[in-house]
Amino acid sequence: MFQRLIRRPEIGPLILLVAEFVIFSAMSPAFLSLSNLSNIMAFTVELGLMALAMTLLMTAGEFDLSIGSVFGFSAVLMWTLFNSAGISLEAAFAITMAVSLFIGWANGYITTLLAIPSFLVTLGMLLVVRGTALYITDGFPQRTWSGGHNWLTDGLAGSFYIGGFRFYSSFALFAFVAVVSGYVLSWTAFGNWLQAVGGNPNAAHARGVNVARTKIALFMLSSALAALAGITSSIRTAASNPNSGTGYELEVIAMVVIGGTVLTGGRGTIVGTVIGVFLLRVMRNGIVFVGVPGLAYNIFIGAIILGMMILRALFARRNGGGA
Amino acid sequence: MTEQLIRMRGVNKFYGAVQALHDVNLDVGNREVVGLLGDNGAGKSTLIKVLSGAVPMSSGEIHVKGRKVAIRSTTDAIAAGIETIYQDSALVPQLSIARNLFLGREPIKGWKFLNRMDQELMEQVTRKLLKRVGIEKNIPPTTAISALSGGERQSVAIARAMYFESNLIILDEPTNNLGVAETQGVLRFVREMRDAGHSCIFIAHNIHHVFQVVDRIIVMRGGRVVADNIDPKTTTVQEVEMIITGESLLAGKAAAH
Repeated sequence: MFQRLIRRPEIGPLILLVAEFVIFSAMSPAFLSLSNLSNIMAFTVELGLMALAMTLLMTAGEFDLSIGSVFGFSAVLMWTLFNSAGISLEAAFAITMAVSLFIGWANGYITTLLAIPSFLVTLGMLLVVRGTALYITDGFPQRTWSGGHNWLTDGLAGSFYIGGFRFYSSFALFAFVAVVSGYVLSWTAFGNWLQAVGGNPNAAHARGVNVARTKIALFMLSSALAALAGITSSIRTAASNPNSGTGYELEVIAMVVIGGTVLTGGRGTIVGTVIGVFLLRVMRNGIVFVGVPGLAYNIFIGAIILGMMILRALFARRNGGGA
Repeated sequence: MTEQLIRMRGVNKFYGAVQALHDVNLDVGNREVVGLLGDNGAGKSTLIKVLSGAVPMSSGEIHVKGRKVAIRSTTDAIAAGIETIYQDSALVPQLSIARNLFLGREPIKGWKFLNRMDQELMEQVTRKLLKRVGIEKNIPPTTAISALSGGERQSVAIARAMYFESNLIILDEPTNNLGVAETQGVLRFVREMRDAGHSCIFIAHNIHHVFQVVDRIIVMRGGRVVADNIDPKTTTVQEVEMIITGESLLAGKAAAH
């Protein structure tokens, strides 16, 4: 039982996460304060939403490098539509989500129809989308929501207090998407298909699984959640910058692989990704608290990734390459 | 001959200017195990690819149970009851035995839109099937394929064909890279499948394996069927080898037959 438990891919990052909490709270009592914990959660969910979709996509054997661009572009598009085109916030939101779904569909369609690696397709899309965001704004940040209540802004970025704890509604969204994606991956027939598609696409095809449609659906999910995350972030920070989200795709991929999802497809873990998301966000938050300059953040993230991968490789070798 | 299951007529296949199949006719009866032999490049695998939907034929007709069918994809072939077990057995190594068995045809439990697999049923059926294909070891249905031996993987692929009641099971070099005990296992499955009412096309390099299980031997050479009614009970291995290499007069006789 213990042997089985320790072999699970999620156990390594979980130990690291616990270690982070122990070390940071020992070095700085303010780290465990309620306001800081709620802060961590608020920042976490925006990247977390993208990481959940990326987990499913990578399990199916594909990448999406365009999510950082979609993150920035969708917020810019929605607020530009709302500010300049004079349409309601709901309509601007609906149009933005439709555009993001189209971006995801294009990623998936080009990848599967022409058999071009998604790494290259989404790299191209990254530049196209980011370029579009810069072009329509002339590079200037957009005005966002200026106070007042709206069900959409409250629903995405609202918050309320439970005692001294500020609870962001976006965290509920993250928890919901995490539970749903975990369910889809492990319990549904679609989850079986996406694992098969990533593990052995020829076998999946030979069994009558529609490989292209499965992948396109996941690309669309990835784009849509990136848009949702970008919009949420723009409401929460009251800023919509065409450059926001730059480099997020790599941080998200790091969260996913640290959690135990394999880079080559076929196996993924939502629980691991949730741990990986917290691991990196807590690190970002904690090193500031203990007095490490924020600019040194990447050193620590890089070290975690390298350390995790080395440990995993050594472990795999000891277990004869399997599991 | 018994009632006909598969009837291929005038099948041609061109790869560009190269003709891989010349006007091939092939019949398989109900409950019949047919051995398909030939040298490398004789057209065996092209013929099998056409029948299993992996490549489209250039011209010709395929009838299953007397009905003409259009086989354009592997899905079409599976729907027509033709199951092919390839050398690498087309399994997903990361997935469990049960998940592989039901891949593409997962049973759904509860509300349809929740798309929830009935894992209990899948594991229960898998356990029964594994016993039926002769895996004596008690392997849990949740074991990943990557943890199985070559013979065990072959058995899983065969179990899948049996469960979904395919009419015809094509075994493409099933005994390659297998140990003696595993080979005996595969040969035993072939006999059991025939007893259970399936037909089978058995392709192997090792003529001795073919001789042990088949009712009838078909030999191909240069993209043509050169003999299609060799009885393994009245013919020797040497005679068949001579037909394969084209050194025998029996070939002409059998083809004219």
